[in-house]
Amino acid sequence: MKELFPAKQVMGFVFSMILTVTALSVYFLEMSFTVGITILLVTAFIQAGLQLVVFMHAGETKDKGAIYTNVYYGLIIALATVFGTLLTMIWGYQIP
Amino acid sequence: MKIDNSLPLEYSTEENQTKILGFWIFLGAEIMLFATLFASYFVLVDRTGSGPTGAEIFEITPVLIETIVLLTSSFTIGLAIHAMRIGNKKAMMAFLTTTLLLGAGFLGVEIYEFVHYVSIGAGLQTSAFTSILLLTLGTHGAHVTFGLFWGLFILMQVRKQGLTPETANKSFIFSLYWHFLDVVWIFIFSFVYLKGMM
Amino acid sequence: MDFFDRFAVPHPSPAIYASMVAIGLTVVAIIAGLTYFKKWGYLWREWLTTVDHKRIGIMYLISALLMLFRGGVDAIMMRAQLAVPENGLLDAQHYNEVFTTHGLVMIIFMAMPFVIAFMNFVVPLQIGARDVAFPRLNALSFWLFFMGAMLLNISFVIGGSPDSGWTSYFPLAGNEFSESVGTNYYMFALQISGLGTMITGINFITTILKMRAPGMTLMKMPMFTWSTLVTNVIIVFAFPVLTVALLMGTMDRLFATNFFTTANGGMDMLWANLFWVWGHPEVYILILPAFGIYSEVISTFARRNLYGYKSMVGSMVIISLLSFLVWTHHFFTMGQGALTNSIFSITTMAIAVPTGVKIFNWLFTLWKGKIEFTVPMLYSIGFIPIFTIGGVTGVMLGMSAADYQYHNTMFLVAHFHMVILPGVVFAMLAGLTYYWPKMFGFKLNERIGKWAFWFISINTLVTFMPMFISGLDGQARRMYTYSESTGFGIWNMISFIGAIGLAIGFALIVYNVYYSIRYSPRNIGSDPWDARSLEWATHSPVPEYNFAQVPHVNSSEAFWDSKKNGHVLYKGELEKIHMPNNSGMPFIMACIFFLWGFAFIFAMWTTVIITTIGIFACLAHRSFEQDHGRYISVREIEETEKKLRGA
Repeated sequence: MKELFPAKQVMGFVFSMILTVTALSVYFLEMSFTVGITILLVTAFIQAGLQLVVFMHAGETKDKGAIYTNVYYGLIIALATVFGTLLTMIWGYQIP
Repeated sequence: MKIDNSLPLEYSTEENQTKILGFWIFLGAEIMLFATLFASYFVLVDRTGSGPTGAEIFEITPVLIETIVLLTSSFTIGLAIHAMRIGNKKAMMAFLTTTLLLGAGFLGVEIYEFVHYVSIGAGLQTSAFTSILLLTLGTHGAHVTFGLFWGLFILMQVRKQGLTPETANKSFIFSLYWHFLDVVWIFIFSFVYLKGMM
Repeated sequence: MDFFDRFAVPHPSPAIYASMVAIGLTVVAIIAGLTYFKKWGYLWREWLTTVDHKRIGIMYLISALLMLFRGGVDAIMMRAQLAVPENGLLDAQHYNEVFTTHGLVMIIFMAMPFVIAFMNFVVPLQIGARDVAFPRLNALSFWLFFMGAMLLNISFVIGGSPDSGWTSYFPLAGNEFSESVGTNYYMFALQISGLGTMITGINFITTILKMRAPGMTLMKMPMFTWSTLVTNVIIVFAFPVLTVALLMGTMDRLFATNFFTTANGGMDMLWANLFWVWGHPEVYILILPAFGIYSEVISTFARRNLYGYKSMVGSMVIISLLSFLVWTHHFFTMGQGALTNSIFSITTMAIAVPTGVKIFNWLFTLWKGKIEFTVPMLYSIGFIPIFTIGGVTGVMLGMSAADYQYHNTMFLVAHFHMVILPGVVFAMLAGLTYYWPKMFGFKLNERIGKWAFWFISINTLVTFMPMFISGLDGQARRMYTYSESTGFGIWNMISFIGAIGLAIGFALIVYNVYYSIRYSPRNIGSDPWDARSLEWATHSPVPEYNFAQVPHVNSSEAFWDSKKNGHVLYKGELEKIHMPNNSGMPFIMACIFFLWGFAFIFAMWTTVIITTIGIFACLAHRSFEQDHGRYISVREIEETEKKLRGA
């Protein structure tokens, strides 16, 4: 039975639960928007990285260069799109 | 077909490796798909018109259930792949079945959530905010639904054919898909729900 | 009869009725011809079910040429309407439809398949592979694209054309201002063909990363393969944005959601934003493969290796990133403040730098080369000065403060045509002439080709230079007429004359194809241009398995090395070759997609449900299907090789 639950994956799961609970604190505790959003950003991205490395085995073959490049490239473009859109449509938009 | 026995079954042929890399690239496209939805969500989140705001309609309980169920299913699909790698077909099928049941549970709660939103006057047509909210959640939900069928087909094939380079490859790719949906959910959980209720 | 009323064209004219008759007759003629010559089986076995990248490439090419004709007719109609002031050839509605479909057809259904045709045909050969990574998905890509194109092309005779511009800005494209189903056609034609393009993107990245010949490291890939890799990266990350934008637009039109409406919090500008987040990378999706073709052609006919290989690669990678960071420059005048506009102005001008690097690399390749002025080379050299005019006017438009003056005028129209014609169309014509012998085993006639080149390049200038002037004088784009007192008449007349000249140039190319099929010599060997990369190291036309033996590579110009420096390409014995089986599923699935889109466009919900189930049934079938391909035996290979060598 034990061999079916490798320590790495169990630890990964426990850690992701801890991250979830940490993120939940923004709902249950009083805090400013800046602190809250910082907690959410940190927990969400750590959680995503955890899935990528521990569960998705992103780095285990000789294609890992291509896989990581692909993911990072996607991440950069995705962030550029999200923040660029916010810049264009909200922060820098002058017509109400 | 050359089979390389030094690697796990799902990587054992050239074709299998190619398929896994191809699927990773597809996931890159999926990152952009959801990024676009998030970008639109952030633009439209405060544009509630005469409809309700997020804080008025979100409820923590169903969201929490969905999150825990989906995170657990992501854990079990990971265990299924581990069982597959040590050649334990029965355990692999048990974990895969668990994953699919958890996925179905997630979907059930999500459907409840949608019905609830519509019943309190936050339908698809109410405002820009409700439109983008339901589209973002719906796109993720549609992915989960698609995954349930896909996973079921793979389960049937593993049962019939056993763990071959082909079925192992399919199962592994399915696990990538499922973990990815979990990652997307984490962002929905954090930046749609928690940020909205903060 | 109520059911059929929805298919009526809302703004009929004699021209549209004539088109209906013409389309009907063409369909009847094709069906009758296929039946009479007993070609149905051939069509199905050799083309509709093929997964061979070369045949798929040729089908893309034929589609692109057909769409070039369709888009060209639209262009002539527009120039004829504007040739004199207050012309009555087209009414306002018809003019709107024509400029909308001209843009859509030329970008999405002409330039895209043209580019993808060369990717399909050339890339597996250049990297020494037997096929692409996922041959069946490749067939699906083509058929999805094709069905999307057909969907758009039937719009003007069934239910009405889209008429709100190829950009389809909301709220104009919303239900309130676009009542006909035209914009629904737009949404579904683009969605379906976009899905095909997306799959192409994944397929080619994987192919290039995983299937290169032994010895070919990334930095030893030929430049066209590099440009294809970078292009497909852009495709994979840009097209999902279009998917989502189209989905939201569709829902606004069919399900009354409020994404881009002007009520209940909807934000019409979000459409423009998302459209251009995809739209600007799209420009580079078209231009980078064109640059790849220029690189191949220039180094072949200057008889020199490409100058600055590393900087070429580097500049493309930088372009691929920057192309995602400039989109706001398409709507500088539409609501952002000075800070936002300045940021995007700077990124816009930054992207001119890597492009300039590439231009200088080509010039240095030409420097001291033994230049041979073949038709492909003429296009490649003609491209540089004309493209530069387009480029520098682009920098003018890129300055956000000055853009308020040029925005939405003919100046802009002139700019992007001066970029796309030399940048993309010239490259495609160069590629067509250059790869024609590899595809069909004979060359296109050089003399007629040169006439066509001079007609096209001179008339590009005659057509579009006057638009810079009329644009600066204030002529707005997309206006169907103007009064005599504006003084635009003379410039538009010159443009019209140029457009006729362009049409003659393209007609010459068609004539050239006919002439060359009849009279060109067939004994030209497999390397008629004395070229440098692997696609020329196999027979013309190419056998289905591409290379009898996998070539071994030690540089980016392996074939040149084998000719001049004694490099040995083929080592060892012949082995049996594994090939994928043909399949009818991609074609069938794409047909269901066509019906699905059509049903959605006319809100026929029962059909929508049935076809949706059909699509998923195809996917389920694929999941359970067992197909391990087939082997070509050594004996068969030997026979084929002997025959091809003898011919």
